Amino acid sequence: MPTTPQLGSPPDEQDKLLDEALGIVKMQAFQMKRCLDKGRLMDGLKHASTLLGELRTSMLSPKSYYELYMAVTDELRHLEIYLVDEFQKGRQVSDLYEMVQYAGSIVPRLYLLITVGLVYIKTKPSLSRDVLKDMVEMCRGVQHPLRGLFLRNYLLQCTRNILPDVADTEGSLESEESSTGGTVQDSIDFVLMNFAEMNKLWVRMQHQGHSRDRERREKERQDLRILVGTNLVRLSQLECIDLEKYIKTVLPSILEQVVSCRDAIAQEYLMECIIQVFPDEFHLSTLHSFLRACAELQPNVNVKNIIIALIDRLAAFTQRTKDEGGIISTDLQLFDIFSDQVALIIMSKPDIPSEDIVALQVSLINLANKCYPDKVHYVDKVLGKTTEIFNKFNLERIGQITPVGKELMKLLKIPVDNYDNVLTLLKLENYGNLLDFLDYDGRKALAMYLINNALENETQIGNPEQVDFMLGLISSLIQDQADQPTETPDPEDFAEEQSLLGRFLHLLVSEDPDEQYLILNTARRHLGAGGNRRIPFTLPPVVFAAYQLAFRYYSVKDQDDKWEKKCQKIFQFCHGTISALTKAELAELPLRLFLQGALAISRIPFENQETVAYEFMSQAFSLYEDEISDSKAQLAAITLIVATLEQIGCFGEENHDPLRTNCALAASKLLKKPDQSRAVGTCSHLFWSGKSVASGGEQIKDEKRVLDCLKKGLKIAANQCMDSMVQVQLFVELLNHYLYFKKKGNQLIEATLVNELVEKIKEELPNLENNEESQQISKHFTNTIDHVKSVASIEEHYKDIAV
Amino acid sequence: MSFFGFGAGPEIELILDGEDTRNKVEVKNEDGKIEACPLYFDGETISGQVKTTLRKGSKYEHTGIKVELVGVIEVYYDRGNPDNFLTLHKELARPGDLLQNQLFKFEFPNVEKPYETYTGTNVKLRYFIRVSISKRLSLIVKEKQILVHTLAQYPDVNNSIKMEVGIEDCLHIEFEYNRSKYHLKDVIVGKIYFLLVRIKVKTMELAIIKRETTGTGPNTVNENETIAKFEIMDGAPVRGESIPIRVFLAGYTLTPTFKDVNKKFSVRYYLNLVLVDEEERRYFKQQVEQTLKICLINLYMCA
Repeated sequence: MPTTPQLGSPPDEQDKLLDEALGIVKMQAFQMKRCLDKGRLMDGLKHASTLLGELRTSMLSPKSYYELYMAVTDELRHLEIYLVDEFQKGRQVSDLYEMVQYAGSIVPRLYLLITVGLVYIKTKPSLSRDVLKDMVEMCRGVQHPLRGLFLRNYLLQCTRNILPDVADTEGSLESEESSTGGTVQDSIDFVLMNFAEMNKLWVRMQHQGHSRDRERREKERQDLRILVGTNLVRLSQLECIDLEKYIKTVLPSILEQVVSCRDAIAQEYLMECIIQVFPDEFHLSTLHSFLRACAELQPNVNVKNIIIALIDRLAAFTQRTKDEGGIISTDLQLFDIFSDQVALIIMSKPDIPSEDIVALQVSLINLANKCYPDKVHYVDKVLGKTTEIFNKFNLERIGQITPVGKELMKLLKIPVDNYDNVLTLLKLENYGNLLDFLDYDGRKALAMYLINNALENETQIGNPEQVDFMLGLISSLIQDQADQPTETPDPEDFAEEQSLLGRFLHLLVSEDPDEQYLILNTARRHLGAGGNRRIPFTLPPVVFAAYQLAFRYYSVKDQDDKWEKKCQKIFQFCHGTISALTKAELAELPLRLFLQGALAISRIPFENQETVAYEFMSQAFSLYEDEISDSKAQLAAITLIVATLEQIGCFGEENHDPLRTNCALAASKLLKKPDQSRAVGTCSHLFWSGKSVASGGEQIKDEKRVLDCLKKGLKIAANQCMDSMVQVQLFVELLNHYLYFKKKGNQLIEATLVNELVEKIKEELPNLENNEESQQISKHFTNTIDHVKSVASIEEHYKDIAV
Repeated sequence: MSFFGFGAGPEIELILDGEDTRNKVEVKNEDGKIEACPLYFDGETISGQVKTTLRKGSKYEHTGIKVELVGVIEVYYDRGNPDNFLTLHKELARPGDLLQNQLFKFEFPNVEKPYETYTGTNVKLRYFIRVSISKRLSLIVKEKQILVHTLAQYPDVNNSIKMEVGIEDCLHIEFEYNRSKYHLKDVIVGKIYFLLVRIKVKTMELAIIKRETTGTGPNTVNENETIAKFEIMDGAPVRGESIPIRVFLAGYTLTPTFKDVNKKFSVRYYLNLVLVDEEERRYFKQQVEQTLKICLINLYMCA
């Protein structure tokens, strides 16, 4: 069937066909030019007609046809130039306009008609209107979509510079008007007609040929769309189209055509085209009609993109205008209009995907943000609307990675990004409701997003209500959720997430201590429900903040006569909080917190200080005794306890004594001998630099007990440690203790004792197996000796030490 | 020119008055030669002169010299019976001798020329002027063809033509031409509305068909000739589409419509709309009689 269009012919076949056609065009063009050069116009036209005949083909794909079209129209330009020349010499134009219409085939005939028509108008501008009308009307003869589209494109191209663009003056006489050859109204009619016809042809392509070729056809249509869109561009270039004309004639006609063509591809493209080509001022004044048209589009049109494009454009425009100091008319309720129309569109399209609905809301929020940054309730209104829609659709637990979820995340992030102040969210009543529609992962991701934003902007959350609200929003990080996955999360991720939360807690700060206290209570209430996995991360920051708060009360004690009570309350609060950690079967962390607490208490001389501090210390001790069983941990813990106690000076003797004795006792009861030795050695400091009320805040400097401790340590090391390596190590460490106390002036530390120890080490060292550890020990020893040597001359306590 | 060897006769030259300045129309003769003939209208006087030129020093005896104006219809397949519908003659000289070169003037005043010159497929209508010098047994003849165009009056009534045609459930169109009578340089302007299209139309043409009818009764011979094929649409329209038609008749060789010329022949014109579908099937009204008949009239109009 040679007559059926073989658009699907293979590419090389296409190339061959195209080459052949181009060859003929070239040849005919050559002959045409030769005839024209010799002044034989009629023969020239005949060749022109023959070369135009190539455009009658049905065999080429749109792409190849386009190439052919370009080649042909290129040649027609020669003809045009020649004709303009001729006519300026006085040839009759009207004759020729008739003559070219003798051509028997319609396609070449119309191309020639347009070419001559153009020359006609150029030589006699007064005829513009009639000739334009005639040409656009005659083009109806080509109903074949591809050929028709290109023909009309040629018409549009040719007339681009000669469209009348003068305002139609009201009441002007007919004669005046005709002398100008028409007004902008004629141009509008002309382009609109051409546009309508081209659009029809373009839409018709969709319905021709086999349904199995649909995809290819749609692609081809997309390739050709620019031809249709050029009409709108041309309209937008007419300077005499003012706002009134646009509102009354231009836009209604375009929209009517777009809506009535009932073709999704065309509608989508053309609506966006309108948005792009016409100025923002026009859009602002025609929002209603444009948006109403949007609601009437085909169900499968992506209205979302259109609206978003419009909103984005207008938002940018209003912002630009504002930046330049201009004022957008206040009576234009841009947001309300969009909000209403978007609602209307959603209603009128029952099968619009919910992600698109949300996307629309996203752009609405953007609009509200850009145009009305101070009107938070607009944003809230959008959130409320969205919530409403979700409720209506019975949506819940929207997955973060689903399309709806993605859009929803976007929606929820916008206010965060925009205000860079999470507190603004407080004003958005619907924010939390909407957030709850997200699934666990989504809520968590958003919570982290909120936190990061707060951290970046160092947003202080300064009162209990705000804290309550914020922690409510990020509850997915704080508490177990009904919908969270059952398997334990990746420990690293979990730690990271909880640490982030911990950092956030430091932002819960109020200038006012009383309020701060309430804040901490609120936080504690939220965080306390976090479960055993979370509280080790979340409670410590609260405890530390509480300690800080106590210090603050102390610093303002002159202005607050109840400060002591308040401090006590705080420490009670801390005690409770730390106990919660204890109940979560944690030991080391609460131990440390208790010790930290005791330290804090010891710095704040309030009424009940000693009792509270003792309580904290004893809690630490009992944790040590009951909960810490690992020997390493024990050593670390006892070291800490000792160090803490050494720092605290608020105990009376009756409290201090049992504490330090207990420390020494605990030290000597450690399981491993080297541990014992070290712990006992550490305890020695307790008896030296420890303070108590009895010592009047001064160091105790109990020389004997210090020596006892050291001796005991040495004894354990010497007699009970089997591993000589460890033994020597302990000796070196103890040597350092000895030297320290000697230097501090402990009279009981005799030089002989030290010398003996040094001798002993010197003796043992070479016997050690040579390895990294022994080298380290040896280095430690050498450094110690070097130190003594270096200061021996100025340090009188060292003078008897033989090194 | 001499017959039977009776010596050379005089040469005849026939010159029409104003022949050089008069409008001339090219006509194609039967033998295919193109000849430019002077053009006359109905009622116009035909005058001229005849010049006889003798051979040197001879005289010529004759039985009379006359000039004739003849209008004749010749049907090709019946050449034996030409129909001389017009014969006028004038005596230029009584029998006698031509002694010298002579000039004769003649005039046929206000001749009624009822028909227009026509050269068709089967029939020919022509006018010519014949000068003859007769002798007892011979005849010297000189002929000159003239061309006649009849004058037409612009019709008082010239309605548009409208027609709806179609194939049931397949194709329904309505077309409209602005007039029913056109002059020869006229433009046919029209529109075609597609009311129903269920065939894949590839193209649509407007054909101008000329039908020449000769003879009468059982001997009637019809000859159809497609004068023009004019593509007016490319591609398939959809329902509701209207396609403009504009055909400049000046581009084609046409004659006026002739109705029953001297009961010998008629020439009529028809517009035929042909739709071609993608399988090259042609859709048109089968009977020429049913396609639209238009009347073509001469461009020249009476005052």
